[in-house]
Amino acid sequence: MEQELRKLRKQIFLTGYSVNIAHIASAFSIVEILYSLYVHQNLNYDSRKPNLENRDRLILSKGHGSLALYTMLYYVGYFDLNFLNSFCKPGSVLGGEPCIPNIPGIEATTGSLGHGLSLGVGMALAKKIDQKKEKIYVLLGDGECEEGTIWEAVMFAAHQHLNNLIAIVDCNKIQKMGSIENVMGIHSWKERFEAFGWVVEEVDGHDVDALDQVFLKGNETDRPLVILANTIKGKGVSIIENDPRWHWRLPNKRELKTFMAELGISEEEITACRKVM
Amino acid sequence: MQKSYVNSLYKLLKSDKNVISCLSDSGTDYDEMIAREFPDQVINFGISENNKIGAAAGLASCGKTPFVYTTSAFLAYRSYEFIRNDVCLQNQNVKLVGMGCGLSWSTLGSTHHTTEDIAALKAIPNLTILSPCSPKELECCVNAAYQIKGPVYIRMGMSNEIEIYDGEASFELGKNNIIKTGNRAAVFVTGSIISEVLEAIHKLKEEGIEIEVVNVSTIKPFDQQSVIAECKKNHVIFSVEEHNKIGGVGSSIADIIAENNLSTKLIKIGLEDCFATGYGTHKQLLEMNGLDAKHIYEIIKNKLVN
Repeated sequence: MEQELRKLRKQIFLTGYSVNIAHIASAFSIVEILYSLYVHQNLNYDSRKPNLENRDRLILSKGHGSLALYTMLYYVGYFDLNFLNSFCKPGSVLGGEPCIPNIPGIEATTGSLGHGLSLGVGMALAKKIDQKKEKIYVLLGDGECEEGTIWEAVMFAAHQHLNNLIAIVDCNKIQKMGSIENVMGIHSWKERFEAFGWVVEEVDGHDVDALDQVFLKGNETDRPLVILANTIKGKGVSIIENDPRWHWRLPNKRELKTFMAELGISEEEITACRKVM
Repeated sequence: MQKSYVNSLYKLLKSDKNVISCLSDSGTDYDEMIAREFPDQVINFGISENNKIGAAAGLASCGKTPFVYTTSAFLAYRSYEFIRNDVCLQNQNVKLVGMGCGLSWSTLGSTHHTTEDIAALKAIPNLTILSPCSPKELECCVNAAYQIKGPVYIRMGMSNEIEIYDGEASFELGKNNIIKTGNRAAVFVTGSIISEVLEAIHKLKEEGIEIEVVNVSTIKPFDQQSVIAECKKNHVIFSVEEHNKIGGVGSSIADIIAENNLSTKLIKIGLEDCFATGYGTHKQLLEMNGLDAKHIYEIIKNKLVN
Protein backbone atom coordinates (compact mmCIF):
# COMPACT_ATOMS: atom_id res chain seq x y z
CA MET A 1 0.00 0.00 0.00
CA GLU A 2 2.86 2.38 0.78
CA GLN A 3 4.12 1.93 -2.77
CA GLU A 4 0.64 2.64 -4.16
CA LEU A 5 0.35 5.81 -2.11
CA ARG A 6 3.78 6.91 -3.28
CA LYS A 7 2.79 6.25 -6.88
CA LEU A 8 -0.36 8.29 -6.47
CA ARG A 9 1.66 11.22 -5.14
CA LYS A 10 4.11 10.79 -7.99
CA GLN A 11 1.25 10.93 -10.49
CA ILE A 12 -0.24 14.00 -8.78
CA PHE A 13 3.09 15.76 -8.96
CA LEU A 14 3.86 14.83 -12.57
CA THR A 15 0.40 15.93 -13.71
CA GLY A 16 0.78 19.30 -12.01
CA TYR A 17 4.40 19.71 -13.02
CA SER A 18 3.53 19.05 -16.67
CA VAL A 19 1.64 22.36 -16.80
CA ASN A 20 3.51 24.24 -14.09
CA ILE A 21 0.33 24.51 -12.06
CA ALA A 22 -0.75 22.83 -8.88
CA HIS A 23 -1.68 23.02 -5.28
CA ILE A 24 0.64 20.05 -4.74
CA ALA A 25 0.89 20.29 -0.96
CA SER A 26 -2.89 20.55 -0.53
CA ALA A 27 -3.36 17.51 -2.74
CA PHE A 28 -0.72 15.46 -0.91
CA SER A 29 -2.43 15.85 2.45
CA ILE A 30 -5.65 14.11 1.34
CA VAL A 31 -4.22 11.11 -0.54
CA GLU A 32 -4.84 8.56 2.23
CA ILE A 33 -8.34 9.90 2.91
CA LEU A 34 -9.25 9.40 -0.76
CA TYR A 35 -7.46 6.05 -0.83
CA SER A 36 -9.59 4.79 2.05
CA LEU A 37 -12.78 6.06 0.43
CA TYR A 38 -12.13 4.90 -3.13
CA VAL A 39 -9.61 2.06 -3.11
CA HIS A 40 -10.92 0.48 0.08
CA GLN A 41 -14.41 1.35 -1.11
CA ASN A 42 -15.71 2.99 2.00
CA LEU A 43 -17.53 5.11 -0.55
CA ASN A 44 -20.26 3.28 -2.47
CA TYR A 45 -19.59 3.99 -6.15
CA ASP A 46 -19.26 2.38 -9.55
CA SER A 47 -16.64 4.07 -11.71
CA ARG A 48 -18.28 2.62 -14.83
CA LYS A 49 -21.60 4.19 -13.84
CA PRO A 50 -20.73 7.63 -12.42
CA ASN A 51 -24.40 8.66 -12.24
CA LEU A 52 -25.60 5.52 -10.50
CA GLU A 53 -28.75 6.52 -8.63
CA ASN A 54 -27.86 4.98 -5.28
CA ARG A 55 -24.22 6.04 -5.16
CA ASP A 56 -22.69 7.84 -2.24
CA ARG A 57 -21.45 11.29 -3.18
CA LEU A 58 -18.21 13.02 -2.32
CA ILE A 59 -17.85 16.79 -2.63
CA LEU A 60 -14.32 18.14 -2.61
CA SER A 61 -15.09 21.43 -0.92
CA LYS A 62 -11.39 22.31 -0.79
CA GLY A 63 -11.44 22.31 -4.57
CA HIS A 64 -7.77 23.26 -4.84
CA GLY A 65 -6.93 19.68 -3.83
CA SER A 66 -8.41 18.64 -7.19
CA LEU A 67 -5.32 16.87 -8.48
CA ALA A 68 -5.55 14.30 -5.69
CA LEU A 69 -9.17 13.59 -6.52
CA TYR A 70 -8.62 13.52 -10.29
CA THR A 71 -5.72 11.15 -9.81
CA MET A 72 -7.83 8.90 -7.59
CA LEU A 73 -10.72 8.94 -10.06
CA TYR A 74 -8.27 7.90 -12.78
CA TYR A 75 -6.78 5.25 -10.51
CA VAL A 76 -10.15 3.59 -9.83
CA GLY A 77 -11.29 3.74 -13.44
CA TYR A 78 -13.53 6.77 -13.93
CA PHE A 79 -11.33 7.86 -16.83
CA ASP A 80 -8.02 7.04 -18.51
CA LEU A 81 -4.53 8.50 -18.24
CA ASN A 82 -4.94 10.65 -21.36
CA PHE A 83 -7.93 12.32 -19.76
CA LEU A 84 -5.93 12.96 -16.58
CA ASN A 85 -2.97 14.24 -18.59
CA SER A 86 -5.18 16.86 -20.18
CA PHE A 87 -5.18 18.69 -16.82
CA CYS A 88 -5.27 22.47 -17.32
CA LYS A 89 -4.50 22.23 -21.01
CA PRO A 90 -6.55 23.89 -23.75
CA GLY A 91 -9.62 21.81 -24.57
CA SER A 92 -9.58 19.96 -21.28
CA VAL A 93 -12.44 19.85 -18.79
CA LEU A 94 -10.02 19.16 -15.94
CA GLY A 95 -9.22 22.49 -14.38
CA GLY A 96 -7.46 23.52 -11.23
CA GLU A 97 -10.79 23.39 -9.40
CA PRO A 98 -13.41 20.67 -10.02
CA CYS A 99 -16.34 21.56 -12.23
CA ILE A 100 -19.52 19.72 -13.22
CA PRO A 101 -20.94 18.30 -15.46
CA ASN A 102 -18.19 16.92 -17.68
CA ILE A 103 -15.82 15.17 -15.30
CA PRO A 104 -16.95 11.63 -14.42
CA GLY A 105 -17.08 11.24 -10.66
CA ILE A 106 -17.19 14.95 -9.80
CA GLU A 107 -20.41 15.78 -7.97
CA ALA A 108 -20.19 19.56 -7.56
CA THR A 109 -18.38 22.61 -8.80
CA THR A 110 -16.13 23.93 -6.07
CA GLY A 111 -13.20 26.29 -5.79
CA SER A 112 -14.51 29.20 -3.83
CA LEU A 113 -14.16 28.00 -0.26
CA GLY A 114 -17.12 27.61 2.06
CA HIS A 115 -19.61 26.23 -0.46
CA GLY A 116 -19.23 22.46 -0.36
CA LEU A 117 -20.78 21.77 3.01
CA SER A 118 -23.97 23.64 2.13
CA LEU A 119 -24.18 21.75 -1.16
CA GLY A 120 -23.72 18.54 0.82
CA VAL A 121 -26.37 19.59 3.32
CA GLY A 122 -28.86 20.00 0.46
CA MET A 123 -27.97 16.60 -0.98
CA ALA A 124 -28.20 14.92 2.43
CA LEU A 125 -31.54 16.62 3.06
CA ALA A 126 -32.90 15.42 -0.29
CA LYS A 127 -31.85 11.84 0.54
CA LYS A 128 -33.49 12.11 3.95
CA ILE A 129 -36.73 13.39 2.47
CA ASP A 130 -36.72 10.52 -0.02
CA GLN A 131 -35.77 8.02 2.74
CA LYS A 132 -32.69 6.90 0.81
CA LYS A 133 -29.70 5.30 2.45
CA GLU A 134 -26.93 6.97 0.45
CA LYS A 135 -24.34 8.98 2.30
CA ILE A 136 -22.96 12.39 1.42
CA TYR A 137 -19.28 13.03 2.14
CA VAL A 138 -17.79 16.53 2.11
CA LEU A 139 -14.02 16.96 2.27
CA LEU A 140 -13.15 20.33 3.79
CA GLY A 141 -9.92 22.13 4.44
CA ASP A 142 -9.23 23.30 7.97
CA GLY A 143 -8.41 26.80 6.74
CA GLU A 144 -11.70 26.68 4.85
CA CYS A 145 -13.49 26.29 8.18
CA GLU A 146 -12.77 29.97 8.76
CA GLU A 147 -15.59 30.70 6.29
CA GLY A 148 -18.83 31.68 8.03
CA THR A 149 -21.04 29.62 5.74
CA ILE A 150 -19.45 26.45 7.04
CA TRP A 151 -20.96 27.20 10.43
CA GLU A 152 -24.35 28.05 9.00
CA ALA A 153 -24.30 24.61 7.40
CA VAL A 154 -22.97 22.97 10.57
CA MET A 155 -25.81 24.44 12.65
CA PHE A 156 -28.46 23.48 10.14
CA ALA A 157 -27.19 19.92 9.60
CA ALA A 158 -27.26 19.21 13.33
CA HIS A 159 -30.73 20.66 13.73
CA GLN A 160 -32.02 18.58 10.81
CA HIS A 161 -30.38 15.39 12.18
CA LEU A 162 -28.52 14.80 8.93
CA ASN A 163 -26.75 11.64 10.07
CA ASN A 164 -26.24 10.72 6.42
CA LEU A 165 -23.80 13.62 6.12
CA ILE A 166 -20.12 13.05 6.86
CA ALA A 167 -17.72 15.95 6.84
CA ILE A 168 -14.03 15.17 6.72
CA VAL A 169 -11.75 18.03 7.68
CA ASP A 170 -8.25 17.83 6.27
CA CYS A 171 -6.55 19.20 9.37
CA ASN A 172 -3.14 20.01 7.96
CA LYS A 173 -3.10 23.09 10.18
CA ILE A 174 -1.68 25.35 7.50
CA GLN A 175 -3.24 27.91 5.22
CA LYS A 176 -1.65 30.02 2.53
CA MET A 177 -0.03 32.63 4.74
CA GLY A 178 0.79 30.64 7.82
CA SER A 179 -0.55 28.29 10.44
CA ILE A 180 -4.25 28.26 11.25
CA GLU A 181 -3.30 29.03 14.82
CA ASN A 182 -1.33 32.12 13.87
CA VAL A 183 -3.87 33.38 11.36
CA MET A 184 -7.08 32.68 13.28
CA GLY A 185 -6.02 31.53 16.74
CA ILE A 186 -7.53 28.08 16.34
CA HIS A 187 -5.66 24.99 17.43
CA SER A 188 -8.56 22.56 17.66
CA TRP A 189 -11.84 22.15 15.84
CA LYS A 190 -13.15 19.37 18.10
CA GLU A 191 -14.85 21.51 20.71
CA ARG A 192 -16.34 23.75 18.06
CA PHE A 193 -18.04 20.94 16.15
CA GLU A 194 -19.15 19.28 19.39
CA ALA A 195 -20.63 22.54 20.61
CA PHE A 196 -22.68 22.69 17.41
CA GLY A 197 -24.07 19.20 18.02
CA TRP A 198 -21.95 17.04 15.73
CA VAL A 199 -20.38 13.67 16.47
CA VAL A 200 -16.62 14.13 16.25
CA GLU A 201 -14.02 11.49 15.42
CA GLU A 202 -10.33 12.28 15.34
CA VAL A 203 -7.97 10.19 13.28
CA ASP A 204 -4.49 10.16 11.80
CA GLY A 205 -5.33 11.26 8.27
CA HIS A 206 -2.37 9.37 6.83
CA ASP A 207 -3.20 6.06 8.50
CA VAL A 208 -5.41 4.24 6.02
CA ASP A 209 -6.30 1.46 8.49
CA ALA A 210 -7.38 4.02 11.06
CA LEU A 211 -9.41 5.89 8.43
CA ASP A 212 -11.02 2.61 7.34
CA GLN A 213 -12.06 1.93 10.92
CA VAL A 214 -13.65 5.35 11.32
CA PHE A 215 -15.54 5.03 8.05
CA LEU A 216 -16.63 1.46 8.83
CA LYS A 217 -17.73 2.39 12.31
CA GLY A 218 -19.96 5.01 10.72
CA ASN A 219 -22.45 6.87 12.76
CA GLU A 220 -25.23 5.24 14.74
CA THR A 221 -26.50 8.52 16.16
CA ASP A 222 -29.07 10.90 14.71
CA ARG A 223 -26.42 13.59 14.37
CA PRO A 224 -24.03 14.44 11.55
CA LEU A 225 -20.48 13.13 11.78
CA VAL A 226 -17.27 15.07 11.31
CA ILE A 227 -13.96 13.27 10.97
CA LEU A 228 -11.06 15.47 11.92
CA ALA A 229 -8.22 13.94 9.92
CA ASN A 230 -4.88 15.11 11.24
CA THR A 231 -2.64 15.43 8.24
CA ILE A 232 0.62 16.94 7.07
CA LYS A 233 0.42 19.50 4.34
CA GLY A 234 2.75 18.34 1.60
CA LYS A 235 2.97 14.81 3.03
CA GLY A 236 5.38 12.65 1.03
CA VAL A 237 8.10 15.13 0.08
CA SER A 238 10.21 16.20 3.04
CA ILE A 239 11.12 19.68 1.87
CA ILE A 240 7.53 20.82 1.42
CA GLU A 241 5.95 19.22 4.49
CA ASN A 242 4.40 21.70 6.93
CA ASP A 243 5.73 24.69 5.03
CA PRO A 244 3.12 27.31 4.02
CA ARG A 245 5.38 28.58 1.23
CA TRP A 246 4.52 25.44 -0.74
CA HIS A 247 0.79 26.16 -0.85
CA TRP A 248 1.09 27.31 -4.46
CA ARG A 249 4.44 26.62 -5.99
CA LEU A 250 6.43 24.01 -7.83
CA PRO A 251 10.08 23.06 -7.31
CA ASN A 252 13.06 24.72 -8.90
CA LYS A 253 15.78 22.54 -10.42
CA ARG A 254 17.53 21.91 -7.13
CA GLU A 255 14.33 21.16 -5.23
CA LEU A 256 13.19 18.91 -8.06
CA LYS A 257 15.96 16.46 -7.19
CA THR A 258 14.34 15.89 -3.80
CA PHE A 259 10.91 15.38 -5.35
CA MET A 260 12.38 12.87 -7.81
CA ALA A 261 14.28 10.99 -5.13
CA GLU A 262 11.43 10.82 -2.64
CA LEU A 263 8.65 10.07 -5.12
CA GLY A 264 10.73 7.73 -7.31
CA ILE A 265 10.65 9.81 -10.47
CA SER A 266 13.22 9.24 -13.23
CA GLU A 267 14.76 11.89 -15.49
CA GLU A 268 12.91 10.29 -18.38
CA GLU A 269 9.59 10.67 -16.61
CA ILE A 270 10.26 14.35 -15.93
CA THR A 271 11.18 14.95 -19.56
CA ALA A 272 8.19 12.97 -20.78
CA CYS A 273 5.70 14.78 -18.55
CA ARG A 274 6.81 18.15 -19.88
CA LYS A 275 6.37 16.81 -23.42
CA VAL A 276 2.76 15.86 -22.75
CA MET A 277 1.95 19.58 -22.89
CA MET B 1 -48.15 39.64 -3.96
CA GLN B 2 -47.05 37.53 -0.97
CA LYS B 3 -50.49 35.96 -0.78
CA SER B 4 -50.44 35.25 -4.49
CA TYR B 5 -47.01 33.63 -4.16
CA VAL B 6 -48.05 31.40 -1.29
CA ASN B 7 -51.24 30.36 -3.10
CA SER B 8 -49.29 29.54 -6.26
CA LEU B 9 -46.66 27.63 -4.35
CA TYR B 10 -49.29 25.73 -2.41
CA LYS B 11 -50.66 24.30 -5.65
CA LEU B 12 -47.19 23.23 -6.76
CA LEU B 13 -46.38 21.66 -3.39
CA LYS B 14 -49.59 19.71 -3.58
CA SER B 15 -49.09 18.49 -7.14
CA ASP B 16 -45.35 17.72 -6.98
CA LYS B 17 -43.72 16.26 -3.88
CA ASN B 18 -40.31 17.28 -5.20
CA VAL B 19 -41.13 20.97 -4.87
CA ILE B 20 -39.52 22.29 -1.71
CA SER B 21 -40.23 25.67 -0.12
CA CYS B 22 -36.99 26.97 1.41
CA LEU B 23 -37.41 29.81 3.90
CA SER B 24 -34.93 31.91 5.86
CA ASP B 25 -37.19 32.66 8.78
CA SER B 26 -38.95 34.57 6.04
CA GLY B 27 -42.35 32.94 5.96
CA THR B 28 -45.77 34.19 6.96
CA ASP B 29 -48.71 32.63 8.78
CA TYR B 30 -49.66 31.08 5.45
CA ASP B 31 -46.29 29.33 5.27
CA GLU B 32 -46.80 27.91 8.74
CA MET B 33 -50.16 26.52 7.70
CA ILE B 34 -48.64 24.99 4.59
CA ALA B 35 -45.77 23.54 6.59
CA ARG B 36 -48.25 21.64 8.72
CA GLU B 37 -49.73 20.08 5.59
CA PHE B 38 -46.40 19.39 3.86
CA PRO B 39 -43.84 19.00 6.65
CA ASP B 40 -41.20 17.46 4.36
CA GLN B 41 -41.60 20.16 1.74
CA VAL B 42 -41.33 23.35 3.76
CA ILE B 43 -37.95 23.93 5.37
CA ASN B 44 -36.88 26.90 7.43
CA PHE B 45 -33.12 27.32 7.10
CA GLY B 46 -33.03 29.99 9.76
CA ILE B 47 -31.30 33.30 9.29
CA SER B 48 -28.56 31.98 7.03
CA GLU B 49 -29.24 32.83 3.42
CA ASN B 50 -25.94 31.64 2.00
CA ASN B 51 -26.26 28.15 3.41
CA LYS B 52 -29.81 28.07 2.12
CA ILE B 53 -28.76 28.89 -1.44
CA GLY B 54 -25.97 26.30 -1.41
CA ALA B 55 -28.28 23.71 0.09
CA ALA B 56 -30.95 24.52 -2.48
CA ALA B 57 -28.40 23.75 -5.21
CA GLY B 58 -27.65 20.47 -3.43
CA LEU B 59 -31.35 19.66 -3.20
CA ALA B 60 -31.77 20.39 -6.91
CA SER B 61 -28.82 18.15 -7.80
CA CYS B 62 -30.79 15.30 -6.19
CA GLY B 63 -33.97 15.94 -8.15
CA LYS B 64 -35.77 18.47 -5.99
CA THR B 65 -37.20 21.79 -7.19
CA PRO B 66 -36.49 24.28 -4.42
CA PHE B 67 -38.30 27.61 -4.27
CA VAL B 68 -36.04 29.82 -2.18
CA TYR B 69 -37.96 32.69 -0.69
CA THR B 70 -36.68 35.63 1.29
CA THR B 71 -36.31 39.39 1.26
CA SER B 72 -34.78 40.13 -2.11
CA ALA B 73 -32.05 42.39 -0.73
CA PHE B 74 -30.67 39.55 1.36
CA LEU B 75 -31.01 37.14 -1.52
CA ALA B 76 -29.50 39.22 -4.28
CA TYR B 77 -26.73 40.94 -2.35
CA ARG B 78 -25.68 38.76 0.55
CA SER B 79 -25.92 35.52 -1.39
CA TYR B 80 -24.63 36.73 -4.73
CA GLU B 81 -21.64 34.41 -4.96
CA PHE B 82 -23.74 31.43 -3.89
CA ILE B 83 -26.30 32.25 -6.57
CA ARG B 84 -23.49 32.55 -9.09
CA ASN B 85 -21.40 29.51 -8.21
CA ASP B 86 -23.83 27.02 -6.73
CA VAL B 87 -27.01 27.75 -8.64
CA CYS B 88 -26.15 29.35 -11.98
CA LEU B 89 -22.66 28.02 -12.73
CA GLN B 90 -23.90 24.52 -11.94
CA ASN B 91 -27.17 25.27 -13.75
CA GLN B 92 -29.25 23.85 -10.94
CA ASN B 93 -33.03 23.87 -10.98
CA VAL B 94 -33.41 26.42 -8.19
CA LYS B 95 -36.08 29.13 -8.11
CA LEU B 96 -35.02 32.27 -6.26
CA VAL B 97 -37.95 34.35 -5.13
CA GLY B 98 -37.05 37.80 -3.87
CA MET B 99 -39.80 39.45 -1.87
CA GLY B 100 -39.98 43.18 -1.13
CA CYS B 101 -38.28 44.43 -4.28
CA GLY B 102 -37.83 48.07 -5.09
CA LEU B 103 -38.89 50.28 -2.19
CA SER B 104 -41.68 48.10 -0.90
CA TRP B 105 -39.99 47.63 2.48
CA SER B 106 -40.79 51.30 2.80
CA THR B 107 -40.32 51.81 6.53
CA LEU B 108 -37.05 49.95 7.04
CA GLY B 109 -34.63 52.00 4.99
CA SER B 110 -32.03 51.23 2.37
CA THR B 111 -30.73 48.01 3.90
CA HIS B 112 -34.08 46.50 2.94
CA HIS B 113 -34.55 48.22 -0.43
CA THR B 114 -33.75 46.19 -3.52
CA THR B 115 -32.78 48.71 -6.12
CA GLU B 116 -29.67 47.18 -7.66
CA ASP B 117 -30.70 43.52 -7.99
CA ILE B 118 -31.43 43.58 -11.71
CA ALA B 119 -28.00 45.08 -12.42
CA ALA B 120 -26.30 42.53 -10.23
CA LEU B 121 -28.16 39.41 -11.28
CA LYS B 122 -28.75 39.93 -14.99
CA ALA B 123 -25.01 39.59 -15.60
CA ILE B 124 -25.04 35.99 -14.36
CA PRO B 125 -25.33 33.42 -17.15
CA ASN B 126 -28.08 30.74 -17.08
CA LEU B 127 -30.41 32.86 -14.92
CA THR B 128 -33.90 33.72 -16.10
CA ILE B 129 -35.27 36.87 -14.43
CA LEU B 130 -39.00 37.44 -14.07
CA SER B 131 -40.59 40.61 -12.75
CA PRO B 132 -44.36 40.40 -12.29
CA CYS B 133 -46.33 43.61 -12.17
CA SER B 134 -49.35 42.32 -10.25
CA PRO B 135 -50.54 39.41 -8.11
CA LYS B 136 -52.13 37.62 -11.07
CA GLU B 137 -48.97 37.98 -13.11
CA LEU B 138 -46.91 36.64 -10.20
CA GLU B 139 -48.91 33.43 -10.29
CA CYS B 140 -48.07 33.10 -13.99
CA CYS B 141 -44.39 33.72 -13.18
CA VAL B 142 -44.31 31.07 -10.46
CA ASN B 143 -45.84 28.52 -12.83
CA ALA B 144 -43.46 29.53 -15.63
CA ALA B 145 -40.49 29.25 -13.25
CA TYR B 146 -41.61 25.75 -12.30
CA GLN B 147 -41.73 24.74 -15.98
CA ILE B 148 -38.21 26.03 -16.67
CA LYS B 149 -35.52 23.44 -15.91
CA GLY B 150 -32.88 25.79 -14.61
CA PRO B 151 -32.25 28.80 -12.37
CA VAL B 152 -34.92 31.50 -12.18
CA TYR B 153 -35.10 34.69 -10.14
CA ILE B 154 -38.55 36.16 -9.50
CA ARG B 155 -38.50 39.78 -8.41
CA MET B 156 -41.70 40.46 -6.53
CA GLY B 157 -43.20 43.09 -4.27
CA MET B 158 -44.84 42.55 -0.91
CA SER B 159 -48.49 43.30 -0.33
CA ASN B 160 -51.21 45.67 -1.47
CA GLU B 161 -49.93 45.81 -5.03
CA ILE B 162 -52.71 46.88 -7.38
CA GLU B 163 -54.11 44.22 -9.69
CA ILE B 164 -53.99 45.68 -13.19
CA TYR B 165 -55.65 42.81 -15.04
CA ASP B 166 -59.45 42.63 -15.12
CA GLY B 167 -59.40 39.06 -16.38
CA GLU B 168 -56.48 36.67 -16.63
CA ALA B 169 -52.96 38.09 -16.82
CA SER B 170 -51.67 38.15 -20.38
CA PHE B 171 -48.26 36.77 -19.42
CA GLU B 172 -46.04 35.03 -21.92
CA LEU B 173 -42.55 33.98 -20.88
CA GLY B 174 -39.90 36.00 -22.69
CA LYS B 175 -42.41 38.45 -24.17
CA ASN B 176 -43.30 41.97 -23.17
CA ASN B 177 -46.98 42.77 -23.33
CA ILE B 178 -48.70 46.00 -24.26
CA ILE B 179 -51.02 47.07 -21.46
CA LYS B 180 -52.19 50.33 -23.07
CA THR B 181 -51.86 51.41 -26.66
CA GLY B 182 -50.76 54.92 -27.63
CA ASN B 183 -49.20 56.82 -30.50
CA ARG B 184 -47.02 59.57 -29.00
CA ALA B 185 -44.43 57.48 -27.18
CA ALA B 186 -43.94 54.19 -25.36
CA VAL B 187 -43.12 53.50 -21.73
CA PHE B 188 -41.40 50.26 -20.80
CA VAL B 189 -42.07 49.45 -17.17
CA THR B 190 -41.28 46.53 -14.91
CA GLY B 191 -42.86 45.49 -11.62
CA SER B 192 -45.66 46.93 -9.55
CA ILE B 193 -44.63 50.52 -10.28
CA ILE B 194 -46.75 49.95 -13.37
CA SER B 195 -49.73 51.26 -11.37
CA GLU B 196 -47.95 54.63 -11.02
CA VAL B 197 -47.21 54.62 -14.74
CA LEU B 198 -50.83 53.84 -15.58
CA GLU B 199 -51.96 56.74 -13.39
CA ALA B 200 -49.52 59.08 -15.13
CA ILE B 201 -50.58 57.83 -18.56
CA HIS B 202 -54.25 58.33 -17.68
CA LYS B 203 -53.57 61.97 -16.84
CA LEU B 204 -51.64 62.46 -20.08
CA LYS B 205 -54.47 60.88 -22.02
CA GLU B 206 -56.87 63.41 -20.54
CA GLU B 207 -54.60 66.04 -22.08
CA GLY B 208 -54.70 64.29 -25.43
CA ILE B 209 -51.32 62.60 -25.16
CA GLU B 210 -51.64 58.87 -25.74
CA ILE B 211 -48.76 56.76 -24.54
CA GLU B 212 -48.18 53.05 -25.10
CA VAL B 213 -47.40 51.07 -21.93
CA VAL B 214 -45.19 48.02 -22.38
CA ASN B 215 -44.98 45.68 -19.42
CA VAL B 216 -41.61 43.96 -19.02
CA SER B 217 -42.38 40.78 -17.11
CA THR B 218 -39.32 38.87 -18.35
CA ILE B 219 -36.18 40.89 -17.73
CA LYS B 220 -33.87 38.15 -18.91
CA PRO B 221 -33.89 37.03 -21.63
CA PHE B 222 -35.09 40.47 -22.73
CA ASP B 223 -37.72 40.73 -25.47
CA GLN B 224 -35.61 42.52 -28.07
CA GLN B 225 -38.29 42.53 -30.74
CA SER B 226 -40.62 44.51 -28.55
CA VAL B 227 -37.99 47.26 -28.17
CA ILE B 228 -37.24 47.26 -31.87
CA ALA B 229 -40.95 47.48 -32.69
CA GLU B 230 -41.52 50.42 -30.34
CA CYS B 231 -38.42 52.21 -31.62
CA LYS B 232 -39.70 51.93 -35.17
CA LYS B 233 -42.99 53.54 -34.12
CA ASN B 234 -41.67 56.26 -31.78
CA HIS B 235 -39.06 59.03 -31.68
CA VAL B 236 -38.80 58.70 -27.94
CA ILE B 237 -39.34 55.86 -25.51
CA PHE B 238 -39.20 55.80 -21.71
CA SER B 239 -38.26 53.20 -19.14
CA VAL B 240 -39.60 53.21 -15.58
CA GLU B 241 -38.35 51.00 -12.80
CA GLU B 242 -37.93 50.93 -9.02
CA HIS B 243 -34.23 50.41 -9.50
CA ASN B 244 -31.04 52.33 -10.06
CA LYS B 245 -30.98 53.78 -13.56
CA ILE B 246 -27.62 52.06 -13.92
CA GLY B 247 -27.92 48.46 -14.95
CA GLY B 248 -31.67 48.05 -14.87
CA VAL B 249 -34.31 47.50 -17.51
CA GLY B 250 -33.52 50.90 -19.03
CA SER B 251 -29.95 49.79 -19.53
CA SER B 252 -31.11 46.59 -21.23
CA ILE B 253 -33.20 48.70 -23.59
CA ALA B 254 -30.25 51.01 -24.24
CA ASP B 255 -28.15 47.99 -25.18
CA ILE B 256 -30.77 46.86 -27.67
CA ILE B 257 -31.05 50.34 -29.20
CA ALA B 258 -27.28 50.58 -29.59
CA GLU B 259 -26.79 47.06 -30.90
CA ASN B 260 -29.52 47.49 -33.52
CA ASN B 261 -28.45 50.94 -34.74
CA LEU B 262 -31.75 52.47 -33.73
CA SER B 263 -32.05 56.24 -33.42
CA THR B 264 -34.90 56.46 -30.93
CA LYS B 265 -34.23 58.58 -27.88
CA LEU B 266 -34.45 56.76 -24.55
CA ILE B 267 -35.35 58.50 -21.29
CA LYS B 268 -34.65 56.33 -18.24
CA ILE B 269 -36.72 56.94 -15.12
CA GLY B 270 -35.37 55.34 -11.97
CA LEU B 271 -33.12 56.14 -9.03
CA GLU B 272 -30.37 58.56 -10.03
CA ASP B 273 -27.48 56.32 -8.93
CA CYS B 274 -28.40 56.85 -5.30
CA PHE B 275 -29.84 54.92 -2.40
CA ALA B 276 -33.49 55.72 -1.88
CA THR B 277 -34.23 57.80 1.19
CA GLY B 278 -37.11 58.34 3.56
CA TYR B 279 -39.68 56.35 5.48
CA GLY B 280 -43.40 56.01 5.03
CA THR B 281 -45.83 54.02 2.95
CA HIS B 282 -44.59 52.50 -0.29
CA LYS B 283 -46.44 55.19 -2.23
CA GLN B 284 -44.96 57.94 -0.06
CA LEU B 285 -41.49 56.57 -0.66
CA LEU B 286 -42.05 56.56 -4.39
CA GLU B 287 -43.09 60.22 -4.10
CA MET B 288 -40.04 61.14 -2.00
CA ASN B 289 -37.73 59.53 -4.54
CA GLY B 290 -39.34 60.89 -7.69
CA LEU B 291 -40.89 57.65 -8.82
CA ASP B 292 -44.60 58.29 -8.29
CA ALA B 293 -47.26 58.97 -10.91
CA LYS B 294 -46.90 62.75 -10.64
CA HIS B 295 -43.15 62.72 -11.28
CA ILE B 296 -43.48 60.20 -14.09
CA TYR B 297 -46.21 62.34 -15.65
CA GLU B 298 -44.05 65.46 -15.45
CA ILE B 299 -40.97 63.85 -16.93
CA ILE B 300 -42.88 62.34 -19.84
CA LYS B 301 -44.84 65.54 -20.53
CA ASN B 302 -41.74 67.74 -20.39
CA LYS B 303 -39.87 65.53 -22.81
CA LEU B 304 -42.75 65.33 -25.26
CA VAL B 305 -43.78 68.97 -25.13
CA ASN B 306 -40.30 70.55 -25.15
